[in-house]
Amino acid sequence: MPTEVIMPKVDMDMATGKITVWHAREGADVVKSAPLFDIETDKAAMEVESPATGTLRHLAPIGTEIAIGAPVAWIYTQGEVVSDIPATPDVAAPRPTVPASEAAVVETPDTARAGTGPRMTPAARRLAREGGLDPQTLKGTGPRERIQAADVAAVLAPRTPRPPGTGIPLVMIHGFAGDAQTWAAVEAHLPAGQTVITLELPGHGSAPRQPVQDFAQLAALMRREFDALDIGSAHLVGHSLGGAIALALADTRPRRVASVTLLCPAGLGPDLNGPAVRGIAGASKPESLGPWLKTLVADPDVITPNFVQVAAAQRRDPQMRAGQIELVDVLFPDDTQSFDLVAALHRLSCPVRLIWGKRDQIIPWRHALRAPGRAALHLFDNAGHLPQFEVAEEIAGLLQDLR
Amino acid sequence: MLDPDANIPFAVRHYSPAQLRTALRRMYLIRKFEEGAEESYTRGLIHGTMHLSIGQEASAVASCMSLSDDDKITSTHRGHGHCVAKGADVARMFAEFFGKENGYCRGRGGSMHIADVEKGNLGANGIVGGGIPIAVGAALAAKRLGTGAVTVCFFGDGANNEGAFHEALNIAAVWTLPVVFVCENNKYGMSTSTERSTAVKSIADRAAAYAMPGCSVDGNDFSAVAEAVESAVNRARAGEGPSLIEALTYRWRGHSKSDRNRYRAKEEIAEWIAKDPIPRFAQDLIDHGILSADEVQALDRDTDREIAEAIASARTGADPQASEVTRDVYTGRVA
Amino acid sequence: MNAPSQVAVRQLSYAEAIREAMDLALASDPRVVLMGEDIGVYGGAFQVTGDLVHKYGEDRVMDTPISELGGAGVAVGAALTGLRPIFEFQFSDFATLAMEQIVNQAAKLRYMLGGSVSVPLVMRFPAGSGTGAAAQHSQSLDAWLGHVPGLKVVQPTTPEDAKGLLLAAIDDPDPVMIFEHKLLYKMKGPVPEGHYTTPIGAAALRRKGSDLSIVATSIMVHKALSAAEQLSAEGIEADIIDLRSIRPIDRETVLASVRKTGRLLCVYEGVKTLGIGAEVSAMVAESDAFDYLDAPIIRLGGAECPIPYNPELEKAAVPQVPDILRAARDLVGVRV
Repeated sequence: MPTEVIMPKVDMDMATGKITVWHAREGADVVKSAPLFDIETDKAAMEVESPATGTLRHLAPIGTEIAIGAPVAWIYTQGEVVSDIPATPDVAAPRPTVPASEAAVVETPDTARAGTGPRMTPAARRLAREGGLDPQTLKGTGPRERIQAADVAAVLAPRTPRPPGTGIPLVMIHGFAGDAQTWAAVEAHLPAGQTVITLELPGHGSAPRQPVQDFAQLAALMRREFDALDIGSAHLVGHSLGGAIALALADTRPRRVASVTLLCPAGLGPDLNGPAVRGIAGASKPESLGPWLKTLVADPDVITPNFVQVAAAQRRDPQMRAGQIELVDVLFPDDTQSFDLVAALHRLSCPVRLIWGKRDQIIPWRHALRAPGRAALHLFDNAGHLPQFEVAEEIAGLLQDLR
Repeated sequence: MLDPDANIPFAVRHYSPAQLRTALRRMYLIRKFEEGAEESYTRGLIHGTMHLSIGQEASAVASCMSLSDDDKITSTHRGHGHCVAKGADVARMFAEFFGKENGYCRGRGGSMHIADVEKGNLGANGIVGGGIPIAVGAALAAKRLGTGAVTVCFFGDGANNEGAFHEALNIAAVWTLPVVFVCENNKYGMSTSTERSTAVKSIADRAAAYAMPGCSVDGNDFSAVAEAVESAVNRARAGEGPSLIEALTYRWRGHSKSDRNRYRAKEEIAEWIAKDPIPRFAQDLIDHGILSADEVQALDRDTDREIAEAIASARTGADPQASEVTRDVYTGRVA
Repeated sequence: MNAPSQVAVRQLSYAEAIREAMDLALASDPRVVLMGEDIGVYGGAFQVTGDLVHKYGEDRVMDTPISELGGAGVAVGAALTGLRPIFEFQFSDFATLAMEQIVNQAAKLRYMLGGSVSVPLVMRFPAGSGTGAAAQHSQSLDAWLGHVPGLKVVQPTTPEDAKGLLLAAIDDPDPVMIFEHKLLYKMKGPVPEGHYTTPIGAAALRRKGSDLSIVATSIMVHKALSAAEQLSAEGIEADIIDLRSIRPIDRETVLASVRKTGRLLCVYEGVKTLGIGAEVSAMVAESDAFDYLDAPIIRLGGAECPIPYNPELEKAAVPQVPDILRAARDLVGVRV
């Protein structure tokens, strides 16, 4: 629970107060006991100190009459999810009675208007959506702290386009119903010199909407993509279905694959959370997508309403959804993984490692135990089926170890 | 000068038996068209209101006697009769009333905008007085282009108090344009009588203000209207400018379908129904040996059948496509 | 070799360019007639028809009585039956007297009659404030007529377009309403010789810039251009779109510019509320260009009052260059 910052009563007969200045901005990190804001009553003006250390959110507007005891801001601790204004706990002590004519109006800060996220221009929203950024993480420099296109671009700029790096590139393949954006969080933690190439499965992201008959054909299509890359060898990184594809590629192109990193890969056993997979493939609106998205992660709270909105927006294309529903039937008939790559995994001679969230509810992490002994296994307690999102920094660290 | 034919009506003297027969036929056709429209309205085949001209057939047909298809007319909201008088096909008129794609206005105009441009009818007009300046413009075009065409401008007594009437008559006079203004005075502008609305006793007196000839005739007397209009058309064709003719007539029905008839006495209506212009003209033609009573009866019967057939065929027409609702707003394609 | 082939394009005033267009049309097409109040020997209230009556006679350059409704209706009827009238209103304000014929007749006849007729009519409206003529002789009523399907509405801003749009209007089979700003009549500019047309429905990009899009009509295009010079010195570069035609309106040019700049400023002299700025803003908000907006849209239009007489009040009633500068700086987030 974040710490509530209230309008303090600093004077005997004070009923309301007015904030004249905030010493820290929305989203700023504040330290306990540092000056936080100035207030003015009809008798005096004074400085109020921060009651906690953390990130300042939901600031009350300057110049409005605010009843004493009413919240004027909230301070979140590191990592605490910022959402709507927390409900104010009932105050046991009776509040001072205010004559009706002077009744204070507590305005809801715009920045936290329920469901709409921060104040943001349409252009900024579009760029954030395209760049896979959570608007809640952005800071606005425009009028009234409005987030403008430039604010988003400043965050995106270091990521895209990545300058051509040196060394062996990472070729990354996303999972079923994902797209290249799945790697955004990991990429953010990779050094600037690292070349990253993301491939997209047919019918996903911006790849052509192409029907697939079976796993072999899917692998062949991806092999053609891989062959077309103007690179010598690559570190293959695959997630879920992309992991199975990475395995198939490594099996057929051993000389061009320097290593294989598999995140919660498919193809190592028949078990699968079929309802979740079908639920995600078919979801056409945030309301139906959200509950299934929560099954992908260890901590469902990280799937914020905003995250769901963005994810649903990316799945707006009905042709894409129809194609993915068909793909489920082809690859996962009767909620079963129909293809088996355990033998391929055993044939690999390059370094191989598997990364799994122990709380994966889509594919059981114990499938990893079918790998040969020389493969490395990294298990994360606090991750589910999306370690690249849930423990992005650690994944990036592991990828940097590759040489 | 002595006129040996003084007792023979002008129309009988002036028009061929075939023309007179056509004239009577058109008067029957108008009457039955209006009755058919009324009947169709009752059956729910017609969307919206309409304004019937039953009782005014003589002025409509007589005013068009001296016109060819190259001559123009502008008409009014009470314009079905003018359209038939100018030679329109009643089946296409009904198709328009039923909102069909094969109607005169392709289902876009309806009763109040019925037109037949090929026959020179520039259209009925939903705005009282709206057609008067347009008629003057058509006369200007005829004069400038030297076509020799004359425009007959129909309007009712209500329009004589519109600014457009006065402005247009003045312009027609100062530019000496070939236009004949035919005011069908049926005594009421909706519910307001000319006595209560118009400062002059006779609308024909308005002509004096615009230095043009003005005369008032019995609008239910086919020959009297034909004679007055013929003379005005000749004057216009000769380049001598416009004239104003007031045809005193009466509409048997109310202003429109919403009329509850609170402003006219039953006796007045009965008195005018007794002055029905159709039997009067038919009797004239029988009296002067143009048609036999049997021939008149045959016209009466034939037009009944023609209207029944027109309604039946109009009902089968195709409805317009909703996707084409914006077609014909412009002549070319407009983004 | 011979003399230099570069021939300087001659300069004409906006009024002269309009007169030249009418002169060409009268000379080449016997169906063309001019109609209006005092357009003959007087030469027109703003001397636009000038001495054309001496060249073509009173049968082609026709002084009408002071009868806007009657005159407009006569022009409609003449257009309907074979002439190509160009009807001049002395002031655009007087369109109010002729609204019946313009809105109920000229605009609707073709449609009401199921496409069996056309009304090839041109109406010219001297419009706008700045002459001290006060409330009944200074209005900008273009948006009124822009609201009527069946009409086309254009507003030339240069002598070249004044001629080109008028010639296009004369060639057009439908009624075209031309709003000419009175303060532009004396403005000079290059005008090509002979017959040419400026397409109706196509905006003109008058200046290129990447920081904001200024969509303007009529004289406001010139005010926007002079503001843009000053903004450029401050490092703000504006795209300036001269709409030229408000019905049909050039959606694509506006949207393309907004997609590029992400900021929209609409400047027009007509009353701000329910005016052309509302239409342009809605066009952007309804399109994919919305996703490129990086600041709220700003409209600068006429004040919510009649045009006043006092010269300072008159200026205050319509957008001026400093207003445009302020709005532009606001849009790009520069605080001065």
